Amino acid sequence: MRHVLTACACIALGAGAADARPVSYEGGWTTIAQSDRMNTGLLIHYTPRFDYSIGLKTEWDRTDDLLFTGGQATWLARRWFGQDYQANLYAFAVAGAAQGINDNDRGARGAGYAGIMADWETRRWFVSYMGRVSDMGEGAHAMQSARAGVAPYVAGFGELHTWLMVEVDHHPEDATPVAVTPLVRFFRGPALLELGYTAAVDEAMFTFMYRF
Amino acid sequence: MFRSLIAAIAALSFSTLALAPAAMADDHAYATPELAAAVEEGGTLVSAEILGMVCDFCAIAMTRTFGRRAEVAAVHIDLDDKTLQLVVREGQTLDDATITDLVRRSGYQLTGDIRRGDGA
Repeated sequence: MRHVLTACACIALGAGAADARPVSYEGGWTTIAQSDRMNTGLLIHYTPRFDYSIGLKTEWDRTDDLLFTGGQATWLARRWFGQDYQANLYAFAVAGAAQGINDNDRGARGAGYAGIMADWETRRWFVSYMGRVSDMGEGAHAMQSARAGVAPYVAGFGELHTWLMVEVDHHPEDATPVAVTPLVRFFRGPALLELGYTAAVDEAMFTFMYRF
Repeated sequence: MFRSLIAAIAALSFSTLALAPAAMADDHAYATPELAAAVEEGGTLVSAEILGMVCDFCAIAMTRTFGRRAEVAAVHIDLDDKTLQLVVREGQTLDDATITDLVRRSGYQLTGDIRRGDGA
């Protein structure tokens, strides 16, 4: 419980680096399945109002074989609009429980994380940053990541959008603290798919997102 | 008979080509056949410029927010022109304040005036 309170006490500002628009339109549902070099997870969220969303999240920490399940809240702290760009500052916090799976026989403990995310994008360019502090019941861990992307062509509404991106992530306590993941993002209507590969640890990454 | 049929198909084909990508109604070009059909049925075209629309998720947010309103017969987003176009059904109204609020609930912001009818 102490860990949950610690995590919740952190000011939440953000969402996963791969999350595109972690807050949807009012009344919108979103499902996000995601796997990177450290974690595999699923998030389902609902947007009651244009500036926040709530959801259920489950995430498998493959390094420590911990399975987290909890509730997530994401807040759109600020959105900047321009004729040709949009920028966002998000906050998020997740609270729940984590327990060992596979070879890890650890029992369930309170767990959670909180973070910030900022992004700026046009129809051609994209940059984002995400920082997160988590506690899966074994002490706090921090990580951060950043992304840059370019669309090789500018697509219209309903057409296939393609992005070429590079993500750099930093896990200070990991055996491989910094890793680079080139990825391609395909995006059409309510569906988004990302496929990438992290050569430093020989791991694939993917994201699939669908908006209802 | 056969020649007439070929001529009819050719005319239809050229007519269809002429409609792409816009649809026609009363000499006015519409972005989609749905907008044109809704105006043909007596609806009023409304358009407005939107700030910050850079991707399909933005457009989906807008089309779904407006699309579930009973007053709206058709809605379209043009990412190139950053415009929202919709058709309000005949006999129904969707005032400027409501449109502004729906855009805000979608997560975006209007810029400039809301245009209606021939001015849209």
